[in-house]
Amino acid sequence: MSVVNYGTREITCKIVYYGPGRSGKTTNLQHVYSQLPEERKGKMVSLATETDRTLFFDFLPLDLGTISGFATRFQLYTVPGQVYYAATRKLVLQGVDGVVFVADSQSRQLAENIESLQDLHANLADEGLDPRTLPLVMQYNKRDLPPAEISSIEDLDETLNFRGVPHFSATAINGGGVFETLRSIASLVLSRLSAPAAKES
Amino acid sequence: MARERKKEEESEGEGGEFAEFLADVSEEIAQRVQSLDARAKAPPEEKKKLRTPVSADAGLIVEWPNIADRMIEEVR
Repeated sequence: MSVVNYGTREITCKIVYYGPGRSGKTTNLQHVYSQLPEERKGKMVSLATETDRTLFFDFLPLDLGTISGFATRFQLYTVPGQVYYAATRKLVLQGVDGVVFVADSQSRQLAENIESLQDLHANLADEGLDPRTLPLVMQYNKRDLPPAEISSIEDLDETLNFRGVPHFSATAINGGGVFETLRSIASLVLSRLSAPAAKES
Repeated sequence: MARERKKEEESEGEGGEFAEFLADVSEEIAQRVQSLDARAKAPPEEKKKLRTPVSADAGLIVEWPNIADRMIEEVR
């Protein structure tokens, strides 16, 4: 996907929220959607099962209007976290410009976090994307749970964040850390616009 | 200071968190666009002489014209 199209004066960024099942990816998007002013609210597409699990993906288009002469759009996606939806995750990752990895802070979910991160790396590599350079931020969600049930930020960072990318504590259920995370990934993606490797078409 | 004021003004018009996000993104894009514009307006670099590959003593090619650059140049 082109990050910036100088010809048509358009900037389009595709950001994917990745992570294990029930880590709070959809909740992140729902909070962003809830904060949009009415006139900017497009449609948030959410394909969920009867039990409210994301079946295919969530899609939230964010039309930011014309900024510095560029029509700017952010497209936020989530992937289904459950292991058996591998093909869907691969599909959603196509043309991604940046990834938010939403980790579940619960200690008992650590293995799922690791597995999902490995899955992300494998899928990015399959897409021909370098997992070491793609804009990525980590979000450690569910920090509102009792301390005895969750891993420390230091432990999560040591286990999951070996690239040393920006990380954020979040309680997405009440909006904590959601926009901080989004701002960070947006900044990382946009910072590539002037980088030599930026795709311009 | 001015940025904070701008943020506050925008916050009044739109949802607070979203407005702050929009202000940050706008600033980021403005900076990037400025650098892209500056690059686009910069006087064109003196055209490099397109040379044929040069062989080192051992017959190794040590310099090779950038084929992609040449193709883009020709398309222009």
